Amino acid sequence: MNALDHELRHAIGQRDTRRHFLQTCSTGLGMMALGSFLGGCNGFGSNTPPTATAPPGAAPTATDLNAQLAQFAPKAKRIIYLHMAGSPSQLELFDHKPELQKYSGKDCPQELLAGKKFAFIQGTPKLLGSTARFAQHGQSGAWISDYMPHLQTIADELTFIKSMHTDQFNHAPAQLLMHTGSARLGRPSIGAWVTYGLGSENDNLPGFMVLASGGKQPDAGKSVWGSGFLPSVYQGVQCRTDGDPVLYVTDPAGMPRSLRQQTIEAINEVNRQEYQTAQDPEILTRVAQYELAFRMQVSVPDAMAISGEPQHILDAYGVDPAKGSFARNCLLARRLAERGVRFIQLFDWGWDTHGTSLDTSLDMGLQAKCRETDQAVAALIRDLKQRGMLEDTLVVWGGEFGRTPMQENRNGQTQAYFGRDHHPEAFTMFMAGGGTKPGLTYGQTDPLGYYAVADKVHIHDFQATLLHLLGFDHTRFTYPFQGRPFRLTDVAGKVVKGVLA
Amino acid sequence: MKLKGMAAVGVGAVLALCSFSLWRGLHPAVDFNTQIKPIFNKNCIACHGGVKKASDFSLLFRQEAFAPAKSGHAAIIPGDADGSELIRRLTLTDPTERMPLNAPPLPAHEVKLLRDWVEQGAEWGDHWAFQSPEKPRLPTIGTLWSRLGLARHPETNWATNGIDHFVLETLREKNLTPSPLATKPTLLRRLSLDLTGLPPTEADLRTYLADTTATATESVVDRLLASNAYGEKWAGMWLDLARYADTKGYERDPGRSIWRYRDYLIRAFNADKPYDQFLTEQLAGDLLPQPTDEQLVATGFHRNTMNNDEGGTQDEEFRVAAVIDRVNTTWDVFQGTTFACVQCHSHPYDPFRHEDYYRYMAFFNNARDEDVTTDTPTLRFYHGPDSVALARLAAYVRQAVPDPRQAPAQVRRVVAMARTLEPKINSHSFDQHVNAALLDAKFFGIRHQGSARIGPLNFTGQTRLYVAWGSSVAGAQLAFHLNKPDGPVLTTATVPQTGSEWNDSVQVLTVPKLTGKRAIYLTLNSPAHPNAWVMLKWVSFQAALPAPAEAILVDLLNKNPDQTPIMLDGTGNLARKTHVFRRGSWLTPGAEVTPDVPGTLPPMDVPGQTLPRNRLGLAQWMTRPNHPLTARVAVNRIWEQLFGTGLVETLEDMGTQGSQTAHRDLLDWLAVTFVEDDHWRMKKLLKRLVLSSTYRQQSTTTPALLAADPTNRFLARGPRVRLSAEQVRDQALALSGLLSRKLYGPGVMPVQPGGIWQSPYNGEAWVLAQGEDRHRRAIYTYWKRTAPYPSMLTFDSPSREFCQVRRLRTNTPLQALVTLNDPVYMEAAQALARYMASQSNVPDQQLGAGLRRLTGQNPTPAKRAVLSQLYRNAETYYAQHPAEARNLLAPAPPTPRLAALTLAANAMLNLDEVLTNQ
Repeated sequence: MNALDHELRHAIGQRDTRRHFLQTCSTGLGMMALGSFLGGCNGFGSNTPPTATAPPGAAPTATDLNAQLAQFAPKAKRIIYLHMAGSPSQLELFDHKPELQKYSGKDCPQELLAGKKFAFIQGTPKLLGSTARFAQHGQSGAWISDYMPHLQTIADELTFIKSMHTDQFNHAPAQLLMHTGSARLGRPSIGAWVTYGLGSENDNLPGFMVLASGGKQPDAGKSVWGSGFLPSVYQGVQCRTDGDPVLYVTDPAGMPRSLRQQTIEAINEVNRQEYQTAQDPEILTRVAQYELAFRMQVSVPDAMAISGEPQHILDAYGVDPAKGSFARNCLLARRLAERGVRFIQLFDWGWDTHGTSLDTSLDMGLQAKCRETDQAVAALIRDLKQRGMLEDTLVVWGGEFGRTPMQENRNGQTQAYFGRDHHPEAFTMFMAGGGTKPGLTYGQTDPLGYYAVADKVHIHDFQATLLHLLGFDHTRFTYPFQGRPFRLTDVAGKVVKGVLA
Repeated sequence: MKLKGMAAVGVGAVLALCSFSLWRGLHPAVDFNTQIKPIFNKNCIACHGGVKKASDFSLLFRQEAFAPAKSGHAAIIPGDADGSELIRRLTLTDPTERMPLNAPPLPAHEVKLLRDWVEQGAEWGDHWAFQSPEKPRLPTIGTLWSRLGLARHPETNWATNGIDHFVLETLREKNLTPSPLATKPTLLRRLSLDLTGLPPTEADLRTYLADTTATATESVVDRLLASNAYGEKWAGMWLDLARYADTKGYERDPGRSIWRYRDYLIRAFNADKPYDQFLTEQLAGDLLPQPTDEQLVATGFHRNTMNNDEGGTQDEEFRVAAVIDRVNTTWDVFQGTTFACVQCHSHPYDPFRHEDYYRYMAFFNNARDEDVTTDTPTLRFYHGPDSVALARLAAYVRQAVPDPRQAPAQVRRVVAMARTLEPKINSHSFDQHVNAALLDAKFFGIRHQGSARIGPLNFTGQTRLYVAWGSSVAGAQLAFHLNKPDGPVLTTATVPQTGSEWNDSVQVLTVPKLTGKRAIYLTLNSPAHPNAWVMLKWVSFQAALPAPAEAILVDLLNKNPDQTPIMLDGTGNLARKTHVFRRGSWLTPGAEVTPDVPGTLPPMDVPGQTLPRNRLGLAQWMTRPNHPLTARVAVNRIWEQLFGTGLVETLEDMGTQGSQTAHRDLLDWLAVTFVEDDHWRMKKLLKRLVLSSTYRQQSTTTPALLAADPTNRFLARGPRVRLSAEQVRDQALALSGLLSRKLYGPGVMPVQPGGIWQSPYNGEAWVLAQGEDRHRRAIYTYWKRTAPYPSMLTFDSPSREFCQVRRLRTNTPLQALVTLNDPVYMEAAQALARYMASQSNVPDQQLGAGLRRLTGQNPTPAKRAVLSQLYRNAETYYAQHPAEARNLLAPAPPTPRLAALTLAANAMLNLDEVLTNQ
């Protein structure tokens, strides 16, 4: 062991901030983390061996993103998570309920309402049959409505979970529960956990990137991609549609690349001189970070430059390169996945179909949202498959809860349009690739689509399954904070074995 | 016989004593806290602690550890290791019986420690931080002669004050020696940044260099402590603790006007308000006798909890969430203890019981804020004619009270109503809705032929009903009935037409005198508009006032003056009971509890002082001089601000799971001195800290020292820490001459990239500040919780949704991109370039002037050479590309030289020595 390694072990052993990295798993996996700090233990996923070692006493850096704490062989190396913020109606898209159709317009049975709280429904609402037409598709016979014609063509690639349920019926807490395992603010998001555990495959890009569409941020704000109590280096970096693709990645006006390069070289040269006197290893870290920043200035715009994509790809996704859109974000997701970004989080706002306006109606508004997104989702999955990436890329699609089988009657009044309230008892999500069983429909709801009844999957079960596919035992993947170990799945969660390939 | 017996006992005792001391000599005394508790915490307590109690055996509390377990026998028998199940189980070979279960056996030396501890009597100890600190003796340094000043000794030469004695003792143990003191320019910059958050000016440096007296540094410290910037710096630190923001948080995250609380902090720090008073005002300013506005504004500390305005969310759920946040924040900030886990179960590692949490929560559970969108109670500031009206209102009330001794209390009650809208009943508590609903789950709405209930509550002596209501239609008649919806009518009134039911108007109605606890029902008759809503926001039953006074009061209640959220407790009808929440859920209340503090800590009542069981009593308890945690936590935090790391690194946790400290005596000495000698005055404490030789050491290190102490735990060198998010911004503005020194006021919106704010539903926008407001200190930047100022987040600021006790410093490429490319830093570079251009016509001298301004030192030739080269290349480039120079310098007129200087300034502002306080 050379002197630097020795110092490093010493530093890590002593530094309590570092202690968090070491005690990640009580079973000694901390030593694996230590190994990766030392530039060894490069067993999983990393295309680029870690070059710089963390200097003793230094603050966490992007280089530490090679933490690599996977606990067993993973099926998925990365996740593309498509979150339809506001929550799409499973009853219009995937959960076909002929019985509900039969009772449409009738009062909702009291036994389904007793003791229930809804966000807006009051008194006795009417049942509402689906506004969509359903048919089975592919060899697997998956039910997909005519709102999603493109998805119908890849039915056999998909793994549906029809029996999702959650604890929360308001957007912000439900989104937090979905992404952080807790309905309260303050916990790390799943992307932060995954990046903390697996690091990035690409030294020149953040390991966790976020793309938002639909005109607004998700209801719960940036906390759904925050790092919570993990160091901020693990938070999601948002790619923007307008202006800089990542904040401040573009050189100021009047600063050509050549001069930017010379500026950074000058800064680093002076800093190296500074290191000669001060000997503070943090200075060397800063030198490395400025080099990385310079590379990011190239690699981020490169990843975001869809102008290089052939026309048939743009057409397949339905992308207008000049405009920000969900479709564009799907294409960007593939490009980021190709470049080794570990967790790619898409949010699309505008799925909250209460029926209070045309835009939020089930027949018009929801169909419009489907038209904006259906083609791109199908194209993304097909594109990944054609590139051989679907095997180790897990695509996830879903909202934060489901929608009621009843017509919403906000403030006791009938809405102007077909609409459904928030519903935590049952909803549908689907996955593709990354070690899931294709062409599977898992779990089911009752004949009215009110409750998940068979093979129920709670949010924490779902999260445990995602972590499992990435190679983590969710019960052992913890981080000490405020005197106790925390984990994504809180104190619950079971891996849904039935959906694993 | 009797004698013989006694003799036998005596002999036995003597023998026992002899054998004990003999034994003691062979087996050095085992210390529970440092040697035994860590073994328990690491190996046992997960199953035998506060969460799980396998076999009914727990090692958390003394009485549980020594009580009979499920087996019927005690696991620990003091003095008898062989007879103690605890010891036996550690050494078994059968893996199903041997402890710890499913884990490797304890190493032999730990088993021996445990055995010795039991043999020695199994003396239990309480964790040091939960016992009152005692002032440790100052360690001796140097030699007797050097201490007497008769000889020289490196230690006595080096040490300035008591801090240095403790540090020298530690260094001696570790075979380390302190570093030389930092040079004057370095020290001045360190002091200025640490005490005021701003760099020194060149004039400051000239003055300091010219002052060759022994008190030169002390003069600098006094000047810095007396500057306004001092309060801004330390208020900035406090904002993370208070989770201060200019918005309410959660989904809608709309604006909240609570900046007066931020200004309170700045003033309190600048006035050097003693910490005990500072704490008391923030926790309980409203409960102080006849509180001043300042004391009420201070309670904004706990009104910085989030308020959920999302449609469909239940106010009670988020009221409870806010109360729980207040409990957790109070512990995090003032007690450095992780109390949050006790919400669901007894503390896994520290001796706090589940019920302790809810007893403590009861102190906070009476607050009147109930997650209503209006954020009430607030303190309303009436200006101009309205403030005159308020004075007239008080005068009317005073004159009308027959007994002058009762007048002040009457006046206070009425003025409080005018200024805080309390006491009132929020309409979300009305129940038995018929054709009525909580509109958007916020306020009570009712339609034609609808009804609902208020109470039952005690309305004795109250003959006025104040009601805040409105409707989009005219002619709706609302009746108030006694006891049932068709009971006797108390009063009927026409609901004012206010444009929308969401707009309210306050009116006062007369009701007959009631006695006892009664339910009141309201019914609506609005046949012309059966589908139109009437909304009630609140009602308030009050005693009658003289007619003119009542008119003034209603008029004031209908104003919408500036206001700031404050804490107020409910009494009488509005007092709440507190229950234990089973497994921490507000939906499953358990036994009722009354306010008290955890039994592990000293009691609230002591001989000679019984404290009220409210927030004021709690604050008085926390600020008793011998409170184990309050002063320790305070000095540890201040130490961390200066040294980058706390004496106990985990500022948030001084409990048994917190970091071990190498400097416990120093911490205790500082804590006791802070209370006894400084009388809680922070400026005195800071002065002691920054004048110590320990603080004034140079921060440069050597490979040997780095190897021996990589994180500077032992303090053999000075602190070297990256600037905080606020300092990075403020320094760039200050060094470039752009910084505005305007104090106080509402948050401002400096330059920020587009598209950061995208809140659903809410039309609020980032409106770029004009004039000097663009260049205010970071503490004044408008803080939106769901979309904070991006460069602040990049430099490790929390989002302020919750209290964050400590920022974890990171070093990332995104930070480099901020200081390289953010327009704020380019603007600073342009201004710095203009300064350099004004200093000389010779480029090298210009660069030298810039570097001197940034670092206070002349650059080394090597450093200047690097920057000169950069400058020359840039000048060549911009001479050939005038359009690029124009772009770089816009809107200023371009020259290649100024463009090149701007580029060099951009580089200089990114140097490690500039971004670091060394």
